[in-house]
Amino acid sequence: MRNRLLLTMILVLTLIISGCSLSSNKKDDSIKIASVVTTEGQILAYMMKYMIEHYTDEEVELINNLGSSTVLHQAMVNGDANMSSVRYTGTDLTGALQGEPIKDPERALDFVQKEFAEQFNQTFFDSYGFENTYAFMVTKETAEKYNLKTVSDLASVASNLQAGVDTSWMNREGDGYKAFVETYGFDFARTYPMQIGLVYDAVDTGELDVVLGYTTDGRIASYDLVVLEDDLNFFPPYDASPFADTELLKEKPEVKKAVERLVGKIYTETMQKLNYQADNNLMEPAVVAEEFLIEHNYFEGGDE
Amino acid sequence: MQDMSQMSTTEQFFYYMQENGLYVFSQFLDHFLISIYGVLLAALIGIPLGILISKYSKLSGVVITLANIIQTIPALALMAILMLVLGLGKTTVIVTVFFYSLLPIIKNTYVGIKNINKSITDAGRGMGMTKAQVLYMVELPLSLSVIITGIRIALVVAIGITAIGAFIGAGGLGDIIIRGTNATDGTAIIIAGALPTALMAILSDVLLGLIERKLDPVKRQQKRINQVI
Repeated sequence: MRNRLLLTMILVLTLIISGCSLSSNKKDDSIKIASVVTTEGQILAYMMKYMIEHYTDEEVELINNLGSSTVLHQAMVNGDANMSSVRYTGTDLTGALQGEPIKDPERALDFVQKEFAEQFNQTFFDSYGFENTYAFMVTKETAEKYNLKTVSDLASVASNLQAGVDTSWMNREGDGYKAFVETYGFDFARTYPMQIGLVYDAVDTGELDVVLGYTTDGRIASYDLVVLEDDLNFFPPYDASPFADTELLKEKPEVKKAVERLVGKIYTETMQKLNYQADNNLMEPAVVAEEFLIEHNYFEGGDE
Repeated sequence: MQDMSQMSTTEQFFYYMQENGLYVFSQFLDHFLISIYGVLLAALIGIPLGILISKYSKLSGVVITLANIIQTIPALALMAILMLVLGLGKTTVIVTVFFYSLLPIIKNTYVGIKNINKSITDAGRGMGMTKAQVLYMVELPLSLSVIITGIRIALVVAIGITAIGAFIGAGGLGDIIIRGTNATDGTAIIIAGALPTALMAILSDVLLGLIERKLDPVKRQQKRINQVI
């Protein structure tokens, strides 16, 4: 009897002690990568994690499934995370930085890099090499029926169409819904704000006629959707970049080096392909990221 | 690459498991550890508290009411409130699990000790045992199976709560479920996340049930009698 009691007590104690060690290496100096709920964000988060783990001895923790870029920004300001898997120039320009939209990609990047460094002491890296901008898309049938090629073509038929858009886009200043209606001068019959992952299905099944989606989404190819050209250049550039606290990069320059190896290596088509693997071929973002890095040998030898 | 749309959901599920097996396993472990740590922390606080309120009955009303109130808060709401203080990530989920595990553990400890026949503890006292000795040698062994039942209930609930934890970035199997809702044809992925979660809950329930039966004093005694015969 006493032996058994002793045994359970020892068991409980070891578990508790191992628990303490687990939580203690979660101290503030550990690297925490925050990522939004999108497939792309998660693939890039795992890529970042594997790159850092491959080139350094750091422990990396992921904070997954955050709702929007605003939450991401808050998480970093509050210190819940010190890296973001991916940030887009256009989103942060008008979102976190409250600036005016800049249409020129290079000037936009310069602006966010400078502002994040000054205001938040955060580093906006150079672009991964792809841009993930918003675009209106319709099914092939709808495009043929109304002869749609550009967003302006929607004007005459928009009053019959139901649209689905990203929740955060509805309220965004500058390049959001309100500004869109002003610039293009038309409105849809109804506009449903919804989670971005659902819009592709909604337009494919015919529940909605036109949706605002991301250009790198793998489902554009798998559903054979037609992306309408933004002929009035309404949407600012959304170049994708890694993002981190400058403090962390100064303390651990090897982390910076590891992340910089990814800069300029992932093109829009590459990203579409990776997204397609995850969204359509039942592969987890973690697996997609690992296979991609192994295929490219962790971008070894890319040092300048 | 095979065409996914040609496969049935079951085939997709097995294909998914084959492609991502390791990933699912690591999430499974994460999920399990988060639940376990939350429950263990609650046991660490809850069991002594339960013993305390069984000795000082005046406290019992207050403590159990408080634990009851915590239990009525929806899991997502409690997690959101804690998130404001503790930030995102695993720690918040562990604390949420901790709060939810308190009630079953405190209550079962309390009931387990209260239900012991007074004459048994009196006999212990009569034999010259100190209060502490009565607690360790008589009361705790006799109530152990009831306390384990509390932990068992807490753990099953905890596994469910941890699944919600994916919303604040804690990882675990909930991550896979959320991804399934975002994917093109996510049924298989949702199942791949939900099935292991259910399995984990059932397995830990059965396992703790076994331990509980082993520790049940009545059955233990019968076994001993059988052995003697």
